[in-house]
Order: sequence, then C-alpha cells, then structure tokens
Amino acid sequence: MNVLPVLEEFAAQCNQNERLRKMNRDWSRLIELVATDRNVTYWLRSEQGLITAGMGDVDEADLKISASEDILQEVFSGAVTPTEPYNAGDLLVKGHQDDLMRLDIITLLIWGE
Amino acid sequence: MKRVVSVSLGTSRRDHRASIQILGEDVEVERVGMDGDLERARLAIQTLDGQVDAIGLGGIDRYLVADQTRYEIRDARRLAEAASRTPVVDGSGLKDTWERWIVEDWIANGVLLPTMSVLMVSALDRFGMAETFYRHGFSVLAGDLIFGSHINYPIESLAELIELGKKLLPEMVKLPFSQLYPTGDLQITAPDDRYYEYFLDADVIAGDFHFIRRHAPTRLEQKVIVTNTTTALDREEFMSRGVRQIITTTPVIAGRTFGTNVMEAALVAVTGILPEEEAWPDIVRKARRQLSREQK
Repeated sequence: MNVLPVLEEFAAQCNQNERLRKMNRDWSRLIELVATDRNVTYWLRSEQGLITAGMGDVDEADLKISASEDILQEVFSGAVTPTEPYNAGDLLVKGHQDDLMRLDIITLLIWGE
Repeated sequence: MKRVVSVSLGTSRRDHRASIQILGEDVEVERVGMDGDLERARLAIQTLDGQVDAIGLGGIDRYLVADQTRYEIRDARRLAEAASRTPVVDGSGLKDTWERWIVEDWIANGVLLPTMSVLMVSALDRFGMAETFYRHGFSVLAGDLIFGSHINYPIESLAELIELGKKLLPEMVKLPFSQLYPTGDLQITAPDDRYYEYFLDADVIAGDFHFIRRHAPTRLEQKVIVTNTTTALDREEFMSRGVRQIITTTPVIAGRTFGTNVMEAALVAVTGILPEEEAWPDIVRKARRQLSREQK
C-alpha cells in the first residue's frame, strides 16, 4: 500500500478549497509523516496557502506524525478524524500543538458533517 | 444561607469568596481555581457533592453552541459527572438568556449601535450574544479560529459561524480541553500582539475576558468592551487604556463581576430550578430585575 496518492488527493482538496487557501496563506510548514510499520516517509508542505505532497526523507520538519500506514491512509482520506487515533495513542505527533490543531481543522473542514 | 462553589480550571490567583443576595436570599459564593489540573477539579467536585447547594464549572464550558445544537465538551462532562447529588452548572443557561438581553438593553439605550463593528473574540462559547449582535445588523467578526487555534481567519457571518461550528464542534469537543482554551496560569501569560489589527478595526470588543486581555493592544481608544469575570483592577486597567465603556454581562457585586457559572449556580441554589427547565427564563428575568434595581 502507498499513502502518496491519498496525500496528493488531500493536497488537491485543500488547494481547491478557497477558505482553506485563505486560512493557510500564512502557514508555512513542512510536515513529515512516517509510516512506522513500513518505515516509509512521506511529507506535506504548506506554503502561501497551497499544499504539496511527496515521498522521501525531509530535513527539519516542523511537525512529525508517526502512525501505521493504515492509520495515515484513514486520516488523510477522511475515514477517521485525527482525534480518534491521537486520543487512542495510535497516532503520535511531535511539534507544536497549534499545528496539530490546524491539521485537525483542515480535515474537518474537508470531511466534517 | 445557601452556599455555592465555583470549581475553576483557571488560576488560583483569582480565588475569592463573597456573599450576594439573589431573589431575596443570601448566598455565599466561593471560587476555587485548580490551576488547570482537571483531576484535581474532578476530586474537588466529588468532595463538594452533597455539601453545597450548587457547583459552578469555571474556566471551562460544558456546552458549545452552534444555532440550535449544543455540543458537550468531553472533559467538562467528566467533571460534571463527578457530582451525583448537587447540581453542576457551567453558565450556559445564563449565556443563552441573560447575555442576549444585556446586549439588547445596551442597544435600546443607545450605547451599542448597529452601525458599530464588533469583534467577538470567541462566539461559539457565547452563541447567544453573537447571534444577538448579528440579528441586530451589527458587522461582526468572530475570532474563534484566530484566538482559539491561531488560524488567522475571521468568521464574517452568522451563517458561516454556524457552518463552521457544525463541522468542527462534533470532533473538537472530544479533544483535551487544554487544547481548546488556556487554563491555569496560561490565562495570564504575556500579551500576544499578532492580531492587533482586529481590535483596532472594531468599535466593540466582546466575549471571553482572558482572550481579550491576552490579545488586545495596549491602547483601546474609545472601544466598548462587553465581557465578564473582571475584577475592579481589571476594569481600572482597561479604562486607563482608553476604553470608553466596559459592559459586564453579570453585575458588579463586591467589586467584581462573577462568572456566568457562579451566577447560574447561585440561581439554581436559591430556586432549585435547573437551566433545562421551562421556568428557567422567568427565574433569570426576575433575578435581573432585582439586581438591576440594586445597581441603580
């Protein structure tokens, strides 16, 4: 399984959403996502309101998210909210709490009620 | 004498005790700050259960509201459930009645004018007040995302506030409360100057006092502030910063304005009527009339 297509679709959804582009206009971050069960690293970059996704190691990420590939896929495809695996300890986050909250809010604005 | 205690997640530096008279009955009110420690708060509520007439939940909302829907904050529910005999209230029953009427009163007496622009630092914890401003035609910016989550995105309409609330709140209320709102000494941290522009552009600054204190610029020339949970010192300080008027949504008693949770707990203690009951709005009206007479 490869999470990259899911991340690319997530980025596309963010970029098509005018409100999210406005919210993220001043949010420049590099987010590292580690699929712990397969030891594969992906990344998301936010710059000037636009999100891009890729695969491979990154230097000096602002936020590091670690989870199994299944969970990463579920979170970034909207199947579950980040809150559920985070509260259960299945999704580990290293970085600033504001950045985690923003990711939560982005996923909810794409897939929320 | 009835006795109510407000167990607050806020700092213990603002603890106080006073006697108030409400609906002709004396009530001893006490606020005890838990410095952000949820477990300590839960144990305090458990200890007070059956010992006092009502318990207020301070520094935390139990319910956030978007339109007709209430969303219950998980951590607050755990706190409320620590008491089985004594009613535990969070002030939302006053926010939905009293705070709406306060804004209407000040519109009626011409201090708040619909031509004014309003910054509501947070609206989903005071939906009644926000809705009243919107419905009277004020230009309102809601800062829930700005001040709660540091996302520089002002919410500009009631429809958008409701839409965002319905999308975000069902999940946000499951988060640890400390991620949603500053607790303990985080309430009195250094000022944050990132969002001064919103304060400078507004004629009226309304909502949570801790958000206002932390984010407002030093000078607030001619601004009207609508808030509560202030001390005499807080009000003096804000007036010295150029504020035209501070409207507190709960009355000044013994030098301070008590949190809505304290006033609500006092009303529940005196009447035995809970905010969910049909008679609640009438009780609140009566209490307002009595307290207004005393303030004159």
